[in-house]
Order: sequence, then C-alpha cells, then structure tokens
Amino acid sequence: MENKVQNYHRSSARVKILLASLILTSTMIYWIVTGVKNTSVHHFTPDQLFLNAENVDRKGVQVDGLISEGSSHWQATELKLTFAVRDVENKAKINVISTGLVRPDNFHDGGNVFVQGVYHADQNLIRATKVQTKCASKYDAADASNSKEPSVNDKATNTREGI
Amino acid sequence: MIAEIGQATIWLALFSCFWTMIAIFLGTRYEHLGAVQSGRNSVIVTFCLITTATFALVYSFLTDDFSLFYVYEGSSLKQPVFYKITALWGKMSGSLLFWLWLLTLFSAVVVWQNRQKPSSLEKNTPLADYALITLAFVSLFFVVLVTGLIEGVRNPLARFPQDIIRPDGLGMNPLLQTPSMAIHPPLLYIGFISLTVPFAFAMGALISGNVSNLWLHLSRRWTLFSWITLTVGIALGGNWAYQELGWGGYWAWDPVENASFMPWLLCSAYLHSAMIQEKRNMLKIWNIILVSLSFGFTILGTFITRSGIISSVHAFAQSQVGGFFAFFLVVLLAGTTFLILIRSNKLKSPNQIGSLLSRESAFVLNNWILVALTAMILFGTLWPIISEAVTQQKMAVPEAYFNQIVIIPGLILLLLTGIGPIISWKTLTLSNFNRVFAKPTAISIVSGLLALGFFFVNREIETSTSTIVLSALCVLGSVFVITAIVEEFYRGGKLRAKRNQVNLFSGMLRLLWKNRRRYGGYIVHIGIVILYIGIMGSKGYDRLATESLTQGQSIKVRNYEFLSGNGFQERHENFDLSGINFEIKKNGQTITTMQPARAFYHTAGQGDQDTIESAIHHIGLNNLYIALGPLPSTFPNYDDEPITVEVYHNPLINLVWVGIAVMFIGGWIAILESTVPETQTPQTSNA
Repeated sequence: MENKVQNYHRSSARVKILLASLILTSTMIYWIVTGVKNTSVHHFTPDQLFLNAENVDRKGVQVDGLISEGSSHWQATELKLTFAVRDVENKAKINVISTGLVRPDNFHDGGNVFVQGVYHADQNLIRATKVQTKCASKYDAADASNSKEPSVNDKATNTREGI
Repeated sequence: MIAEIGQATIWLALFSCFWTMIAIFLGTRYEHLGAVQSGRNSVIVTFCLITTATFALVYSFLTDDFSLFYVYEGSSLKQPVFYKITALWGKMSGSLLFWLWLLTLFSAVVVWQNRQKPSSLEKNTPLADYALITLAFVSLFFVVLVTGLIEGVRNPLARFPQDIIRPDGLGMNPLLQTPSMAIHPPLLYIGFISLTVPFAFAMGALISGNVSNLWLHLSRRWTLFSWITLTVGIALGGNWAYQELGWGGYWAWDPVENASFMPWLLCSAYLHSAMIQEKRNMLKIWNIILVSLSFGFTILGTFITRSGIISSVHAFAQSQVGGFFAFFLVVLLAGTTFLILIRSNKLKSPNQIGSLLSRESAFVLNNWILVALTAMILFGTLWPIISEAVTQQKMAVPEAYFNQIVIIPGLILLLLTGIGPIISWKTLTLSNFNRVFAKPTAISIVSGLLALGFFFVNREIETSTSTIVLSALCVLGSVFVITAIVEEFYRGGKLRAKRNQVNLFSGMLRLLWKNRRRYGGYIVHIGIVILYIGIMGSKGYDRLATESLTQGQSIKVRNYEFLSGNGFQERHENFDLSGINFEIKKNGQTITTMQPARAFYHTAGQGDQDTIESAIHHIGLNNLYIALGPLPSTFPNYDDEPITVEVYHNPLINLVWVGIAVMFIGGWIAILESTVPETQTPQTSNA
C-alpha cells in the first residue's frame, strides 16, 4: 500500500516536472522568436541593398562596404556626418547620414565601414544609428590573411583578438 | 636555430601524445603496469616538449628574430619587453601554442595529483588514467593545429620561405598594449583549458565504468578553479573595454564576449547540479552532459571566433581551420554520446525529484535557466549564419536582442540565488517556510516597494517606466538574497558561538571555516547581488552627452560640467600622448581635473595607429568618464577646429568590479575545502 502511494506521488511529481519543462522550453522559444522578430535586421553589401531596396524600405539594415571616395563631409559643431558607402566593385552606392555620433577613428576614403540604421528607399539613404570603421587587416585574428568581406560582427574600435 | 628546435619539439609532441593514449589504453586493458607508467611519463614528456617550443617562441620575440612570421607580425624593435612576452598570445597560432602549453601543464598536474599511494592500491580504478587518455587526445588536436599542417594556421615558429631580411616587425596591435589586456587573455585561457580536466574525468568515469561520484570529487577543485578564472578573465576583458575602447561601457555582446560567457554559464550550471548528485545521487547523466557541454563550448567559442564562421557561411566552407574545428566538435559529440549510451544503465539515478518546492527543483530550475540563456545567446551569435543558410539572406541581431532576452531569466536567477541555499531538500514544509523564508520575503517586498517609490519620485525624463519597474524588481531580489544569506550566517554563527563559548563574530568565522564550500558559495552569491546592482545602475541610469568643443567650451551631464582647457602632448617610449585638460565642476564648484587623451603608436611600415585613452574619475561608486574623438591636425591648438567629446556619468559602475572581487574571494574560500576522502585519493590503475 505504502509503495503504491509512493509511486503515485513520484509519477505525479514526474508529470508536474514534465509540464514545467514544457512551459519553460516554450517560454525560451517564445523569447528567441520575439527577440529575433523585434530586433533582427537585414545585413547587406551596398549592391545587395540596392537590389532589395523596396523590401527593406524604412526598415532596419546593416551594411558593410567601403567609404566612397570624396563623398564624406563632417560638420563637427553639429555632429553631422554624411558619406556614401559602396561595394568593392563599385556597382552601387548608398548615402548615409548620421547625427549626434562621433566620427569614428580611421574614417578615410576607401576604408571599410559598417553602418546600422533605417533605410529610406526613396532617397537611397540610411539614417545611421551606428557607424564603425574596421581596423587594419594586419590585426585580423587569423594568420592566413585570406581577404574577406568586412564582417557583420567586426567592430572598429572594439575588435578583440582571440578569446 | 632555437626556432627549429621548437618546431622539432612540436612534432615530437605529436608522437608523445599518441604514445600516452596507446600505452595507457593497452596497459590498462592488459594489466601491464609498466605500459601505464610509460603513458603517464609520456604526459610529462609532452609538457617538456611544448614548454621548449613555447620558450623558443618567447626567446625569438625577446631577440627580435623577425625572420619568423609570427614575431614579424606581432612585435617590433620599439615594443617594450613586457609586450614582447605577451605577444606570445597576441595572434592566432601563438595563442594556440600557449593554449597547448597550458593544457599539457594541467595534464602533468593531473598525473602528479593522482600519483600512486601504496596504502590504497587495492581500491584503485583506472579512472584517472582514462582521464589522461582524454587529455592527450585533446592535446593532440592542438598539437596538430600548431604544426602548421592545417591551412589557415601557420606554425608559430615558421620562418619566411626566403632569406628576406626584415629590420623591424609590424608591432602588436596598440589596443592590446595595456596591462589588463596582458592578463585578461591568459586568465580566459586558463579558465577554458582547465575545464578540459573535469571533462576528462567524466570521460574517464564513462570509459572505466566507475560512474560513482568519484569523478565529481576528483575534478571539483578544477571546475571551481575554471569558474573563478573565467569570472575574473571575463571581468578583466570588460574592464579593458571600459578603459580602452572609449564607449563608456564594459559589455557589448560581441561574438568574442559571448564565446567566453557561454562556457561560464554552463560551468555555473554544472557547479550547482554536481551538488545535487553528491547530496541526492541524482542527475548523473545530466552532469556528464553539462560538463561535456562546458568543455565543448570552449572549443565552439574558439571555433566561432577564429574560423571566420561569423563573417560568412562561405568563409566557413572555405576555411580548413573551421573544418578541422568542426570535425573535432563532431568527434567529441559522437564520442560523448556513445559513451553515455553504453553506460546508460549505470547512470540511472536511484532518486527522483519528489516536489517542485524543494532544493533539488530550485537547482534544476537554475540549471534550466542557465542552459536556456546559453542556447539563446548561441542562437543570437550564430543568427547571421543560420539566417543565411536558411533564407539565403544574412540577418543579424544587435545588442538589443541580447539585452531583451537576459533580463527576465536574469531576475529569476537572482531570486534563485537566495532561494537555493535556504529551501529544504526533498520538499518545502510550512515550518521550513516560516523559519527561513518569512523574514526575507517580507523585508524584500517592502524594500522593492520603497525602491519603486524612490525611483519614481527621482525619475529623470530619460528614464523609462520599464527601467524603473525592473530596477525595483532587482532591488527586491537583491534584498531577498542578502537577507536570506545574512540570516543563515547569523543563525549558524550564533549556534557555533554558543557551542564554543565565543562571541558571535568568532562563531561566524568558525562556521565559515568549517563549511568553506557552502559559505564560500554564499559569499559568491553576495558578490552576484553586488554585480547585479552595479549592472542596474550602470546600464539603466547611465547618461551620455556628445558635443564638439573648442578650447574654453563646456559640456554638461546631470549636474556635472566639463570645461575644456589647454591641449597637451607627451612623448612615451613607444607612443605619443595627446590630450586635453578638463576642469570638472559640480554645481559651479571645481571638484577635480581629468585628462582624456589619444595615444599614437608609431609602428614600423604601417603608419600611425591611435587608441583612445579615456579619463575616468571615481566619485564613490559612480564614475565620470571622458573620451576624445579624432584630434585636428592643428592640435594642441583646437581654437578653430573643434574636437568631438563624449562624456558619461555611470552610476554604481564600481559595484560591478566590487561584485566580481567578492565572487573571486568566495570562490577561493569554497575551493579550499577538500571533498575527496583520503582513501579515495589515488585513482591511477594498479594494472
């Protein structure tokens, strides 16, 4: 009799634990899905953004490219930076405007740049919330300095080497 | 010549690793003590060989041997001696060699720790010897990496193919030339690599069939050691970012940070679930999975950050080093799964969780949240790859994703930090609730409500309602944890004081010393509370102002005014410093001066590199922080060309570092307690 009661309590606890696990796992999946849905942004090179312009009109985007030669203008007193970002083959250019941000270090014509902001297709313009340049390739972590596109996760001023 | 010796020793280490595995395996299987001993000696030989290679590389740095690729790329004539030594782990292949050296060192320590003691030979099992096989297998992986056989990783001692004379090197990245960056990577490596030891013991237990709690006991100190060094290593990385990167923060959720944080989360989970196995003989399979995941994530983290996988799926496909890491991960996963399956009968736990309101359940929930956090962080880190693979369109999640997903689980974890230590095993009874929960619950609810009122009354226009509510919940949780732990200390200390006829303070100290593991853990929990409060203040209530200033202009944050003064320039050994003197006023009264600057490193053949040298002023637990933007060519004159300046007021940020220090102290107190019965200490085989 006592064994039966014990077994009943055990199986009841097991059901509760199973249910709790299901709830917790569903919660985690919900967090991931809503988190990604709310914050995820498209990542493009300038030519890819140009081709997808209508799909991402007034949406958050990230763009990796090069600072178009002769395009940049910095108004220090207003903290206003305007420039164009181009792809390696110079197939497309996207205009960028940032206000209220510091002009990043190593910001020069032809340099690698990462831009995050909202894209406005009608003006072919990104209103940037983040502009970062990339360190010189000699500091890439890998020894074999295979040339690669600027990375979605590489950061100019906070690139860390190794782990 | 010394470099060639180093290269040769790396190749020899390949054979000694093989020999360790073969000799110990066959010796144990055929009960041949000589073979087993030879395998153990081979572990020491591997350590000596890799030590020789490591010293060869350090020597090459110190003697400016720029005929070596690695020295040329990571050092220069002007580089201070200290940074010539730390250049050892400044780039990829050298850091892998350093990793390997630490791994062989730890393997040698395991041999020494488990050396035979004649008094208990009959009780020996080959658990520790099989752990050595696992360690040798992991070492072998890293030896292959540093031989230069794998495309993408050059042998760190390799020379340029032709006899090209390089008068000077490129120099180390200026960002790495700071003391904290010299300590932070080795600490992280130590934390990562020492996690190999508990994993190896878990594998030893599975291979030998001795799946009792012995492997937990034998590896407990190693796990705690890993956890402590990872904690401090991660914190030092944050501190480095705060001081050197000029964005006023210490954590940005970049893949490199995530790669170090995920093993820490898993290791924290394992430390808790191991206690359940020791006390209640439960979660045996789960513990083996957790310790394997903790170790696997150190490899995965290295893979993520070094293979280029985050850049592009295609880079991964093209990169052989990525493929090699992926292969190793698959082997680990397959091997561990296979061993768990063949021992599944022995791993069944006799006990089960009886109630959702019990310490076991609290620990399991703690485990679940820590693992879920790891999964969510991993998903966000790999999202660019996952999205590109699934939709052919690369997407990314910014910091907001990570900030969003950690808040609620983080607050639940905080509550569990207080609940776990005081809730009773098996089931929570009403008497247990009244005795240990009533007071902390009541005090924390009142504190939470008071905090809510305080935050609303002192609300600034920039502060959102959600920040205020979350802060009040953080205060509620923190007060609960502190009250629960202090009450536990007080109750135990009082009893001990009465028993030993001493005062309360002495009673509490005796209690702490007699139960170092338990109360050390409680001190860690207090450190976590302090850390949470620091994060709440510095992330929720920080204020930033950005403006371009000419000399004599000022910028304001809260009630602080930063008045820009004259520019200055200083010449140092390998860099020039240019900065501005700022006068800081509070309510019109000068309180201090600050000197933010930029350091210009003149590196050979590569042009100048400059770094931000932020100025930080401590006001109690708060910080004032100034970072300078690019300087004009006319500097130190900036009357006509303004300089962009960012100033921050970071409340309670010093509590972040205090919290880490308290966690460090608590961790070391806990590590001091040995849990291995004397008769069980020697675990090498008596083949």
